[in-house]
Order: sequence, then C-alpha cells, then structure tokens
Amino acid sequence: MKFRIAKEAFLDGLQQVQHVVSSRTTLPILSNVLIEASEEGLRLTTTDLDVGVSGTAQAEVSKTGATTLPVKRLVNIIRELPSAEIEVSVDGKNVASIKSGPSFFKIIGLPDGEFPPLAGFSEAKEYKIPQAIFRNALKKTSYAISTDETRYVLNGIFSSFKEGKLTLVATDGRRLAMVDHELEFPSSHETDFIIPSKAVQELQRLLGTEGDMILKLSDNQVCFEIGSSIIVSKLIEGNYPNYRQVIPGDSKERLTLSREQLLETTRRVSLLSSEKSNSVKLTFGPNQVDVMANSPDIGEANESLDVKYEGKEFSIAFNPEFLMAPLKSLEEDEVHLDLIDEMSPGVLRTEDAFLYVLMPMRVTS
Amino acid sequence: MTKEKEGGQENDNENHGDQNNSQTWNLVREKLSEYISGDAFSRWFKNAELVDPEQQDGLVAVQSDMHQIWIETNYMDELRAAFAEGAGIHCSPQIVVKGDVEADLPKAVVGKIPLQEDNQKIAVRGARANSSVKVVTPNLEEKTQAFQRKLKRLGINPDFDFESFVVGDNSQFAHAACSAVAHQEGRSFNPLFIHGRAGLGKTHLMSAVAQQLLANDPKAKVVFLTAEHFANEFIEAVRKGNLDAFRKAYRHVDAMLIDDIQFIAGKERTQDEFFHTFNALLNSQTQVILTCDCPAPEIQTLEPRLISRFESGLTVELQPPGFETRVAILRRKMEQWKVELENNIVVHIANQIKSNVRRLEGALTRVASYSFLSPENMSIEKVDELLGDLVRDENTHLVTIEQIQKAVADYYNLNLSDMSSRRRPASIAFPRQIAMYLARKLTKLSLVDIGDGFGKRDHGTVIHACKKVKSDIETDPEVRGAVEKLNAALERRN
Repeated sequence: MKFRIAKEAFLDGLQQVQHVVSSRTTLPILSNVLIEASEEGLRLTTTDLDVGVSGTAQAEVSKTGATTLPVKRLVNIIRELPSAEIEVSVDGKNVASIKSGPSFFKIIGLPDGEFPPLAGFSEAKEYKIPQAIFRNALKKTSYAISTDETRYVLNGIFSSFKEGKLTLVATDGRRLAMVDHELEFPSSHETDFIIPSKAVQELQRLLGTEGDMILKLSDNQVCFEIGSSIIVSKLIEGNYPNYRQVIPGDSKERLTLSREQLLETTRRVSLLSSEKSNSVKLTFGPNQVDVMANSPDIGEANESLDVKYEGKEFSIAFNPEFLMAPLKSLEEDEVHLDLIDEMSPGVLRTEDAFLYVLMPMRVTS
Repeated sequence: MTKEKEGGQENDNENHGDQNNSQTWNLVREKLSEYISGDAFSRWFKNAELVDPEQQDGLVAVQSDMHQIWIETNYMDELRAAFAEGAGIHCSPQIVVKGDVEADLPKAVVGKIPLQEDNQKIAVRGARANSSVKVVTPNLEEKTQAFQRKLKRLGINPDFDFESFVVGDNSQFAHAACSAVAHQEGRSFNPLFIHGRAGLGKTHLMSAVAQQLLANDPKAKVVFLTAEHFANEFIEAVRKGNLDAFRKAYRHVDAMLIDDIQFIAGKERTQDEFFHTFNALLNSQTQVILTCDCPAPEIQTLEPRLISRFESGLTVELQPPGFETRVAILRRKMEQWKVELENNIVVHIANQIKSNVRRLEGALTRVASYSFLSPENMSIEKVDELLGDLVRDENTHLVTIEQIQKAVADYYNLNLSDMSSRRRPASIAFPRQIAMYLARKLTKLSLVDIGDGFGKRDHGTVIHACKKVKSDIETDPEVRGAVEKLNAALERRN
C-alpha cells in the first residue's frame, strides 16, 4: 500500500475517528485505525466494539491495500510533521514508512484481517433526517443524559419515531430535556430505541448543518450515514421509563425571559454559590426577578432582571449548572419559565417544541 | 405498628380510595404531603403503598420505574423524615416497583418447606397479591431488575451467586458451609471465617450468601461491606461525633458480612469498635461472615482477643483450584459468554494459569475476544503469545530452592548450611529430604539441578528422598502435618 496525502487532510480524517479509541483497551487491535487505500482515496475506521466510526480522506493512491496502525501515535506524528505533504508506504509485514520533507518515521502496525468489521445493515429500516435537525435536537438534550451506571437505560438518548414526529428525550432523574420535530417516515417505521451516550458524542462531532443523514436500524444496532462518514453503535437494551409522567400539568405562573440575559446573570451570580449549597435563588416580585447566591463563608451576589410579571411573590432555587445547560444549547431569544410553587419542578419552554423539566433545590431557612 | 397514635380516628381524610393502605402509611403520607407540594405529591405518591404494613422497614411500592427513579433521586430525604415524624419509624426507605415486589422475593416461598408461621405469611402475601399488587409468577431463573438494583445498591455483585460458583475439591467445604449459612441451617457456624488467597472466590461465596439471605427474606437487613469501608465509616463517625448512629446502623442488622477483614489490622480504634460490634452481633445470634487473605492468627498486628473470636466459629479455607476445576470454571465462563473454543485450547489455558481464578478469567477474556475477532488464527502458539505476561507472572511466583531450604531449616531449627552439608544424622537428613521433596513439587527444576542445590548431590539421592517422603506422608501424620504446613507457607509467599 502506498499513497501521498496532504497533512491537513490526513489529520482531519484521523481526528474524526480517533475519539472512539479508548486509552485502555483489552485488545491491541482496538488501539489501531484501519486504513484502507483504494482508487477513491482512504477510508479510516476505528471501533471499541460498542461504537465504530468510519470516515474518508482524499489521497493520491499509487498502490491499493489495507493495514492498521496505532491511531494515537499516528495522530501525534502527523501533527508534528514539518512539510505539508506526506508519503506513506506499508510493506507486507504492516510496517509503515512515513516520509515528509526531511523526516522519516517507521511504525509497526497489525494486519487488517484482525480488525473487527463493523456490523452490516442490509435489511434495516431506513430514516432520512436533515443533519441540522438531528444535530440541533442532540444538542438540546444530550447534556441531561445520566452518568449513573446503575441506571443504564438512562445512559443514552431515548429516540422515538411515532406519529410523524421524531422525539428525543434525556433525563438523569433531576431534570429532563425533550425535543420534538415533525418528520416524514412511513408509518410501518414507527419505533423507539436508546442511543448510548458515546455514540451521541460521536454524532455531535460529525453532524453538520447541511444535507441529510441516513439512519439505519436493525435489532440491536444503529447506523448513521453522514456524508461519507459512518457511525455504527450498539443500542442500549431495556425499556426507557415513561418520561411523560415527569412533565407537570398546568402551571400557575408563566414568565417570559431573555435567554441570554438569564444565562449571563445566572453565570455571574453562580460565581458565589458554594460547592456545598450549589444553588441560585430566583425571587419573583412585581415586574422583576432577583437572582441571588450566597454562601456564608464566601459572600453573596445579587442581580435583578426586568421582566413582565404580575403573579404572586415567591422564590425558587435551582442548581445553576442545570439551569444554564439548556440556555446554552438553545438559540431562541426568549424562553418561557413555567412555575407552580417553590417545591414543584420548573419547566423551561421555547416557541419550538423544546421542553426542560428541572427539579428545584431545597432552600433551608 | 402504629403505637399509641390515637387509634384509627384519623383515617378517612383526603387520602382514600385504597383500602390497602395501612394506618402507618396514612400517617407517613400525611406528613409527606406537608413536605412536598400538592402536584408532586399526587404525581409521585398518590398510588404508592407499603409493601408490608406489618414491617417497619420502609419498603414502598410505586407503580412505575419512572416513579422509582424520580422518588429515589429527589424525595428520599422527605420520605425518611415522613416515616420518622409521621409514624415514628426510623428506617432508610426503599422504593420498589409494584409487580417487581412479588418477584423480588422469589426463593423465599419456593425454596424451603414452609413452617407454620411461614404458611401464614404466604397466605397474607397471596391475599395482597390478589387484591392490589400485580401478580407476577416468580421467575427463579432470572433475577428481576429490581432485585438486581437492590443488590447493586447494597454493593453486592448480582453475578456472584451459588449457581455461578464452580465447586471443586478445593472449595467444597467452604461452599457447603456458606450454603448452610445461607439457608440458615448453620446457626452454630457463627462467625463463619473464610480465608484463602486473592482471586479464589471468597467474595463470590460471601456475595452468594448475601443474595440468598435477601432472597429468603427481601426485607432482611444484610450489611455487606469491606473492612476498609467499615474503618472509613467509623473514622467519619468519630469525626462528626455521631458514633451512636454508627453503632445503631451496624448493631441492629440481620446479617453482617465483611470482606477483607485483614484491613483492620493496625487500626487500633477501629479494631476496638469492631470488637464491640462483633460481640454485640454474636450475643444477639446475628450471623457474621468474614473473609480474609490469610488464616486469622497470621493477620499482622491483630489483637489476640479478635483472633480468638474469629476462630470461635467455623473456619474454612479456599484452596487454589485443581486442574479439573479450572477446566470446569473455564467451561462455565464460556457458556456464560457464549464463546466456543477448541478443547485443547481450554486445556492449555487451564494448564498455564494455576494460581488464581480471577487471572484465569482474565486469560479467557483475552483468548475469547481474540478468537471472536479472528477465529481462523486461533492456535496454541497464539494463546501463548496472548497470555505471555500472565504466564510469566505465574512462573515468577514459583519458589526457589533457597526459599524452601530456608523455610524447612527454620521449621526444624537447623542452620541453612545444614541443607547442603555432608552431615547425615537423622535430625538433619530427614528435613533435607523433605526440602528436596518440596523442591521437586514446587519448582520446575530438574532432579540434577535440585541435587546441585543441595550440596552437589546425585540425582538418585533426590529420587530416593522424594519416594521416602511421599511414603512417610501416607503413613506418618506428623510428617504429613509438617509438609502441609511448609507447603502452605511457601505457596502463600507467592
């Protein structure tokens, strides 16, 4: 195998796939990237047996073939190479010679036959989803994925294709983020499944803002085709709990707030919330919200926001990180905050079909 | 029980519609509705109920897994307070999903012949099952999710049960003892002291007992923790000054299982506290199980009064598994993981890895994942390559002739030089023969090398020594005892 490639192109291609490789693997082959050179260019593939990612890179191939090389080391080498053009040749024993300007590297690889193939999706259900929509929906929900491994069904995003709608949901028991989108698909394709967190991360890296993505679904695997890149992942097995039970019914008070203002204010005020209490208190009065934080041994912060509000006066406290997470991921100028009382969950909504349920913190005193 | 809380007048308040709610639960609910707002209360607790109102264990059944998740994450403090304030019950509440409840106690009803009182209990449970809780046929094969979660919460690995433990000559006695304790046939096995080297299944057996006890009675308070954890909790309690709560937590339990007890060695105050806890438990006939990586008297810096107490019950030892057991373990694992390997490969792995079950599993993981990826390249040579470092590790554990000579000389009070000297009085010659026998057994050296190690003796001398000791072991219990002790001491050194 032999090819010439631009440094940037090679680096981009490798960086697209290298995140899947974990630093501690049981098998040496899993630390490697599979490089397949054909007339069309290079295909680069990595996997950790749960998630696999594959992408392409433009290259001038003079001799086709395949090998695997340790990906982390390869990326480090390519990044440091002095010249913009690189020549790579691999001999029959999977030893790669890398030439670039005056430098020369030799690294030892493993045969491509040992690399576990990604699952095939020949008889799978197919869905066509605009990349921008899916990317946006993931961004609006992924921060709420639970990291508690004893509840493994929550370690991913619940994705439902029902009644002409794509719904994504993530929750960790303290908050729940949900987003809906109209989507066309045949009614025979109605289903739901859970995409594991690791695949979600890879998706967020690869999804762009233009063009469509093809989602293929088999019994226990899912595949995302994004341009020339592919992500294949196992699904989380089990039933996602009924998340609709979490969403409160009628609210008593509704406020409309500027998203950016609320975010900035919360960020500033939270500088003085202690690790221990880790909360900011929102106090609602006539046409004004006071955002406060105080920790007895540090100090306190207070900032007020002008808002149209005529309801009763009361306070509610939230974890500032949890309050800021959805605000950061949204793009709308305005958000609605629906509240019942200081002990009931608050609900953040946008004009779009986004909804975020957040449990308040207990305020002592 | 509701105690003197002015009888039954105050039921029939807003919470109605569920005849099954005990008065206790009504009191708790009432308190709870003060702590959390109306919407949240009706959303999460409206249809919740106590699993067994007779018990003051705080086991609450809710209708879905989302209820369980949300309550466990957000309302446990309120629930605990409501139990305490409303009904005077101090407990750590647990949430189970209805339907899982019955399945949560699978083996209790089926496993043993019911006694009179058990019969009544079953009748009660059966009645409730019919009225409100969904009946689920208890599936003995698969543990329910709820049961698994419960185990995890208690720090017990659900995979470690009696079914998954491969019994061999090395572990038969330990297994039988644990099984007796788990089925509560062995009140006199208290405390049960399990010792053996790392990776031989101590924790596995103890977890299995814990699981069985919980299966027998899901409400049993089983404490399962490592000695280190115990020490940490104790230190924390001392720091915060709530020793009382600490004592309560550990002295009012149904079974106490402590892993790796050797960790309390050298921690004087922890030992002291443990001593009292231990005594309190034994006095109240509470089952105690301890595991340790060596026999109790060999724990360094452990107080003698603790040693004697550890030895007051039943002591069992786990030995490294024999060849057949190792093969059986591998086969069991393969079945579990649904992998297939050639017979000769399995035998080869079992031959290479001898000292430790955990390492054996590690070896199988490597070979199995390799064969999964490229089955056609599987060969004995490949296995050797994959297991290279593990096998090297095993072999470095072999003892040297010098170590054997030193151990034997120490045991018989001889000088080390006597081992290789030309002197031949029986008091020296026989120990020397024992040392040669052990060298033959424990090292991979040839007869000639062993002869060389013992003052350039002929290989015939070594053969003679081995035969002599072997036949003496069969006839003379004193010799047998000595050889076994030396053997064990040398193996443990690894």
